[in-house]
Amino acid sequence: MEHQHAPGEECPKCWAKVSTPLFCESCKAILPATANPSPFDALGVEPSYPIDAMALRKRLLTLSRQLHPDFHIHADTGTRALAERNTAELNAAFEILSDDFRRADWIVKSLAGPSESDERQMPSEFLAEVMEWNETVEDARDAPADSPARAELDPLATSLEEQRARVMSEISDRLVPLPEAHAPVLREVRRRLNAVRYIDRTLGEIAELRLADASSER
Amino acid sequence: MAYSDKVLDHYSNPRNVGSLDKGSKDVGTGVVGAPECGDVMKLQIQVEGDRIVDAKFKTFGCGSAIASSSLATEWIKGKTLDEAEKIKNTEIVEELSLPPVKIHCSVLAEDAIKAAISDFKNKKASA
Repeated sequence: MEHQHAPGEECPKCWAKVSTPLFCESCKAILPATANPSPFDALGVEPSYPIDAMALRKRLLTLSRQLHPDFHIHADTGTRALAERNTAELNAAFEILSDDFRRADWIVKSLAGPSESDERQMPSEFLAEVMEWNETVEDARDAPADSPARAELDPLATSLEEQRARVMSEISDRLVPLPEAHAPVLREVRRRLNAVRYIDRTLGEIAELRLADASSER
Repeated sequence: MAYSDKVLDHYSNPRNVGSLDKGSKDVGTGVVGAPECGDVMKLQIQVEGDRIVDAKFKTFGCGSAIASSSLATEWIKGKTLDEAEKIKNTEIVEELSLPPVKIHCSVLAEDAIKAAISDFKNKKASA
């Protein structure tokens, strides 16, 4: 197995401590990281649910500037391939960390919490509610653009946005401080992440309908 | 991803779409969801004695989820509760030739049958 240069370990070329398994900022060597490093490791930030979005972005840009294949066009084939792979890893890590839902999902998985399908049994009252949202959207879809059925979408979207914000803050409450691996609280987080998926699906459909309306008005 | 002909058939011409009277003591209602994609499925059965005489469904989801629930209602009509309870998602996968990424749709249909039967039995027990 390839050795992974986790943050705090030494660069195999210059022995400086590295802050990411992708790159040595001291001697500029691109490191042969194992596939799928922890996104927190990849960006060299402390694992935690709350995240400083500005600092994260700055970190991405700093590392990209050194790792990106465009800055290695004169290097040998192996280095160029590594630059490409590590840049892809870095971007994938950023995508996860910059999204509250995906970051929480990653944390639950990494702490050996339940997966989406392990926790599929949602309360039946909640699912009945999801049916109702979907029915409201379906009625609106079949109705003309300025009909009362369409007007129902606005309050539904507002209430779903509020519900989403509430559930995401309940998730945040449970992930600060970071729970231990296998902690029972991870189950509570997974249930809430699943609820957010249903909310997002309906919000996505409402957005699609509005987009279709906007483009037909043009 | 290509859908099989059977999925397309059920999707474009779904059987037994609709609702039964949720409040009736002869009707069992199961609502289940797939958190993987946010799909939600309602399946209802009307029971006489121990036999399912009618079944209706309403599914908000992808073609495979709609086809799985449509097929499920077709299969359980006329069956006894015990027979219907034995339907496995793998049979739905086989009949519809569902690809691996859509297996959860068949699981959803199996769960919906079981949830409807259990709701009916609970109603009967508390009546």
